[in-house]
Amino acid sequence: MAEKRTYEVMYIAAPETADEDVTKLNESLQQIIENGGGSIVKTDVMGRRKLAYPINKKTEGLYTLFEIEGSGQEIAELERRMRVNDAIIRYLTVRVDEERKTAAKLTAKREDRQNRRKSGSSKFNQTEPSATEEVQDNQ
Amino acid sequence: MADKTNDIEDIDVLNDIDLGKVAELKNERMPPRRYQRRRQSQFVPDYIDWKDVGFLKRFIPERGKILPRRISQVSAKDQRRVATAIKRARAMALIPFVTD
Repeated sequence: MAEKRTYEVMYIAAPETADEDVTKLNESLQQIIENGGGSIVKTDVMGRRKLAYPINKKTEGLYTLFEIEGSGQEIAELERRMRVNDAIIRYLTVRVDEERKTAAKLTAKREDRQNRRKSGSSKFNQTEPSATEEVQDNQ
Repeated sequence: MADKTNDIEDIDVLNDIDLGKVAELKNERMPPRRYQRRRQSQFVPDYIDWKDVGFLKRFIPERGKILPRRISQVSAKDQRRVATAIKRARAMALIPFVTD
Protein backbone atom coordinates (compact mmCIF):
# COMPACT_ATOMS: atom_id res chain seq x y z
CA MET A 1 0.00 0.00 0.00
CA ALA A 2 1.39 3.29 -1.05
CA GLU A 3 -1.09 5.08 1.14
CA LYS A 4 0.28 7.95 3.21
CA ARG A 5 -0.93 8.12 6.76
CA THR A 6 -0.37 10.80 9.33
CA TYR A 7 0.22 10.00 12.95
CA GLU A 8 0.74 11.99 16.08
CA VAL A 9 3.05 10.28 18.53
CA MET A 10 3.41 11.77 21.96
CA TYR A 11 5.55 10.38 24.70
CA ILE A 12 6.37 11.31 28.26
CA ALA A 13 9.95 10.90 29.45
CA ALA A 14 10.81 10.55 33.12
CA PRO A 15 11.36 13.95 34.78
CA GLU A 16 14.91 13.12 35.91
CA THR A 17 16.07 12.60 32.33
CA ALA A 18 18.74 15.13 31.36
CA ASP A 19 18.09 17.56 28.51
CA GLU A 20 20.85 16.13 26.32
CA ASP A 21 19.49 12.64 26.88
CA VAL A 22 16.09 13.78 25.64
CA THR A 23 17.72 15.29 22.56
CA LYS A 24 19.61 12.06 21.97
CA LEU A 25 16.46 10.05 22.47
CA ASN A 26 14.58 12.17 19.97
CA GLU A 27 17.37 11.73 17.44
CA SER A 28 17.37 7.96 17.84
CA LEU A 29 13.58 7.83 17.50
CA GLN A 30 13.82 9.98 14.39
CA GLN A 31 16.37 7.54 13.02
CA ILE A 32 14.00 4.63 13.66
CA ILE A 33 11.19 6.40 11.83
CA GLU A 34 13.35 7.25 8.84
CA ASN A 35 14.74 3.73 8.66
CA GLY A 36 11.19 2.43 8.64
CA GLY A 37 10.33 4.60 5.65
CA GLY A 38 8.47 7.34 7.46
CA SER A 39 9.14 11.05 7.54
CA ILE A 40 8.82 13.50 10.37
CA VAL A 41 6.59 16.45 9.63
CA LYS A 42 6.97 18.18 12.95
CA THR A 43 8.77 17.74 16.24
CA ASP A 44 7.49 19.60 19.25
CA VAL A 45 9.44 19.35 22.47
CA MET A 46 6.78 20.54 24.86
CA GLY A 47 9.06 20.35 27.88
CA ARG A 48 8.29 19.79 31.52
CA ARG A 49 4.65 19.50 32.47
CA LYS A 50 2.85 18.47 35.59
CA LEU A 51 1.06 15.15 35.19
CA ALA A 52 -2.68 15.18 35.89
CA TYR A 53 -2.16 12.06 38.00
CA PRO A 54 0.99 10.26 39.14
CA ILE A 55 2.53 7.71 36.77
CA ASN A 56 5.14 5.38 38.28
CA LYS A 57 5.14 7.60 41.36
CA LYS A 58 6.22 10.58 39.27
CA THR A 59 4.30 13.82 39.26
CA GLU A 60 6.06 15.51 36.35
CA GLY A 61 7.03 14.51 32.87
CA LEU A 62 8.92 15.70 29.81
CA TYR A 63 6.51 15.79 26.90
CA THR A 64 7.50 15.41 23.26
CA LEU A 65 5.24 15.28 20.23
CA PHE A 66 6.06 13.96 16.77
CA GLU A 67 3.99 14.25 13.67
CA ILE A 68 4.86 11.42 11.34
CA GLU A 69 3.91 10.61 7.80
CA GLY A 70 4.30 7.09 6.56
CA SER A 71 2.79 3.71 5.84
CA GLY A 72 2.32 2.59 9.44
CA GLN A 73 5.19 0.11 9.36
CA GLU A 74 7.53 2.45 11.19
CA ILE A 75 4.98 3.00 13.95
CA ALA A 76 5.17 -0.64 14.98
CA GLU A 77 8.95 -0.44 15.31
CA LEU A 78 8.78 2.92 17.07
CA GLU A 79 6.29 1.65 19.63
CA ARG A 80 8.37 -1.47 20.24
CA ARG A 81 11.40 0.70 20.99
CA MET A 82 9.46 3.06 23.22
CA ARG A 83 7.99 0.19 25.20
CA VAL A 84 11.39 -1.15 26.22
CA ASN A 85 12.93 2.25 26.92
CA ASP A 86 13.01 2.89 30.65
CA ALA A 87 13.15 6.67 30.25
CA ILE A 88 9.77 6.70 28.50
CA ILE A 89 6.97 6.33 31.00
CA ARG A 90 4.00 6.74 28.64
CA TYR A 91 3.38 7.05 24.91
CA LEU A 92 0.37 7.40 22.65
CA THR A 93 -0.03 7.15 18.89
CA VAL A 94 -3.05 8.67 17.21
CA ARG A 95 -3.82 8.45 13.55
CA VAL A 96 -5.03 11.89 12.55
CA ASP A 97 -5.26 11.99 8.74
CA GLU A 98 -8.81 10.67 8.53
CA GLU A 99 -10.17 12.92 11.24
CA ARG A 100 -8.50 15.90 9.62
CA LYS A 101 -9.95 14.99 6.27
CA THR A 102 -13.50 14.81 7.61
CA ALA A 103 -12.93 18.05 9.49
CA ALA A 104 -11.73 19.77 6.33
CA LYS A 105 -14.77 18.46 4.51
CA LEU A 106 -17.07 19.83 7.20
CA THR A 107 -15.38 23.22 7.08
CA ALA A 108 -15.66 23.34 3.30
CA LYS A 109 -19.31 22.39 3.49
CA ARG A 110 -20.08 25.10 6.01
CA GLU A 111 -18.27 27.74 4.00
CA ASP A 112 -20.08 26.67 0.89
CA ARG A 113 -23.41 26.93 2.68
CA GLN A 114 -22.56 30.38 3.98
CA ASN A 115 -21.60 31.55 0.53
CA ARG A 116 -24.86 30.24 -0.85
CA ARG A 117 -26.80 32.02 1.85
CA LYS A 118 -25.04 35.27 1.10
CA SER A 119 -25.72 35.10 -2.61
CA GLY A 120 -29.24 33.86 -1.87
CA SER A 121 -30.10 36.86 0.32
CA SER A 122 -28.63 39.27 -2.16
CA LYS A 123 -31.01 37.89 -4.75
CA PHE A 124 -33.90 39.67 -3.06
CA ASN A 125 -32.15 42.99 -3.24
CA GLN A 126 -31.07 42.72 -6.82
CA THR A 127 -33.23 43.63 -9.77
CA GLU A 128 -31.78 40.95 -12.01
CA PRO A 129 -32.30 37.54 -10.42
CA SER A 130 -31.00 35.61 -13.41
CA ALA A 131 -27.47 36.94 -12.90
CA THR A 132 -27.27 35.69 -9.31
CA GLU A 133 -28.63 32.32 -10.22
CA GLU A 134 -25.80 31.80 -12.61
CA VAL A 135 -23.30 32.59 -9.88
CA GLN A 136 -24.93 30.01 -7.63
CA ASP A 137 -24.68 27.33 -10.25
CA ASN A 138 -20.98 27.83 -10.56
CA GLN A 139 -20.35 27.19 -6.91
CA MET B 1 -5.37 19.00 44.93
CA ALA B 2 -4.04 18.85 48.48
CA ASP B 3 -5.98 21.90 49.64
CA LYS B 4 -9.35 20.34 48.90
CA THR B 5 -10.06 18.74 52.22
CA ASN B 6 -12.88 20.81 53.66
CA ASP B 7 -15.08 21.59 50.69
CA ILE B 8 -16.85 18.28 50.23
CA GLU B 9 -20.18 19.98 49.59
CA ASP B 10 -18.62 22.07 46.84
CA ILE B 11 -17.41 19.08 44.89
CA ASP B 12 -19.51 17.96 41.93
CA VAL B 13 -22.47 20.18 42.65
CA LEU B 14 -23.68 19.35 39.19
CA ASN B 15 -23.90 15.60 39.68
CA ASP B 16 -25.26 15.73 43.19
CA ILE B 17 -28.10 18.10 42.43
CA ASP B 18 -29.34 16.12 39.47
CA LEU B 19 -29.18 12.74 41.16
CA GLY B 20 -30.69 14.08 44.35
CA LYS B 21 -33.68 15.58 42.58
CA VAL B 22 -34.30 12.47 40.55
CA ALA B 23 -34.25 10.30 43.67
CA GLU B 24 -36.58 12.68 45.49
CA LEU B 25 -39.08 12.72 42.69
CA LYS B 26 -39.12 8.95 42.48
CA ASN B 27 -39.91 8.68 46.17
CA GLU B 28 -42.85 11.01 45.87
CA ARG B 29 -44.23 9.01 42.95
CA MET B 30 -44.18 12.06 40.76
CA PRO B 31 -44.06 11.76 36.99
CA PRO B 32 -40.46 11.53 35.77
CA ARG B 33 -38.80 14.84 35.40
CA ARG B 34 -38.36 16.04 31.87
CA TYR B 35 -35.01 17.53 31.19
CA GLN B 36 -35.29 21.03 29.91
CA ARG B 37 -33.83 21.55 26.52
CA ARG B 38 -31.04 24.02 26.52
CA ARG B 39 -29.47 25.86 23.70
CA GLN B 40 -26.19 24.46 22.52
CA SER B 41 -23.89 26.27 24.87
CA GLN B 42 -20.66 24.93 23.49
CA PHE B 43 -19.20 25.49 20.10
CA VAL B 44 -17.50 22.35 18.85
CA PRO B 45 -14.90 22.86 16.12
CA ASP B 46 -14.66 20.60 13.09
CA TYR B 47 -11.39 19.18 14.28
CA ILE B 48 -11.11 18.37 17.95
CA ASP B 49 -7.51 18.33 19.04
CA TRP B 50 -6.98 15.88 21.87
CA LYS B 51 -4.03 17.97 23.05
CA ASP B 52 -6.14 21.11 23.44
CA VAL B 53 -6.65 20.90 27.19
CA GLY B 54 -8.25 24.33 27.39
CA PHE B 55 -11.07 23.31 25.11
CA LEU B 56 -11.60 19.87 26.65
CA LYS B 57 -11.76 21.37 30.14
CA ARG B 58 -15.09 22.89 29.20
CA PHE B 59 -16.56 19.41 29.13
CA ILE B 60 -15.13 18.39 32.46
CA PRO B 61 -16.80 19.56 35.66
CA GLU B 62 -15.14 19.57 39.09
CA ARG B 63 -15.26 15.85 39.60
CA GLY B 64 -13.39 15.07 36.40
CA LYS B 65 -16.20 13.19 34.70
CA ILE B 66 -17.20 13.87 31.12
CA LEU B 67 -20.10 16.30 30.96
CA PRO B 68 -23.21 14.36 29.86
CA ARG B 69 -24.86 15.24 26.62
CA ARG B 70 -28.08 16.34 28.26
CA ILE B 71 -26.11 19.10 29.97
CA SER B 72 -23.59 19.94 27.28
CA GLN B 73 -26.32 19.85 24.61
CA VAL B 74 -23.97 19.05 21.80
CA SER B 75 -24.95 16.67 19.03
CA ALA B 76 -24.39 12.95 19.50
CA LYS B 77 -21.65 13.00 16.91
CA ASP B 78 -19.86 15.89 18.58
CA GLN B 79 -20.25 14.33 22.01
CA ARG B 80 -18.56 11.15 20.78
CA ARG B 81 -15.69 13.11 19.30
CA VAL B 82 -15.27 15.13 22.46
CA ALA B 83 -15.37 11.99 24.60
CA THR B 84 -12.71 10.30 22.48
CA ALA B 85 -10.47 13.33 22.70
CA ILE B 86 -10.89 13.48 26.47
CA LYS B 87 -10.00 9.80 26.79
CA ARG B 88 -6.85 10.30 24.74
CA ALA B 89 -5.85 13.28 26.83
CA ARG B 90 -6.45 11.26 29.98
CA ALA B 91 -4.16 8.51 28.77
CA MET B 92 -1.36 11.04 28.41
CA ALA B 93 -2.01 12.52 31.86
CA LEU B 94 -3.06 15.88 30.39
CA ILE B 95 -6.44 15.57 32.11
CA PRO B 96 -7.18 13.63 35.32
CA PHE B 97 -9.39 10.56 35.39
CA VAL B 98 -10.84 11.58 38.74
CA THR B 99 -10.41 14.48 41.09
CA ASP B 100 -11.52 14.26 44.67
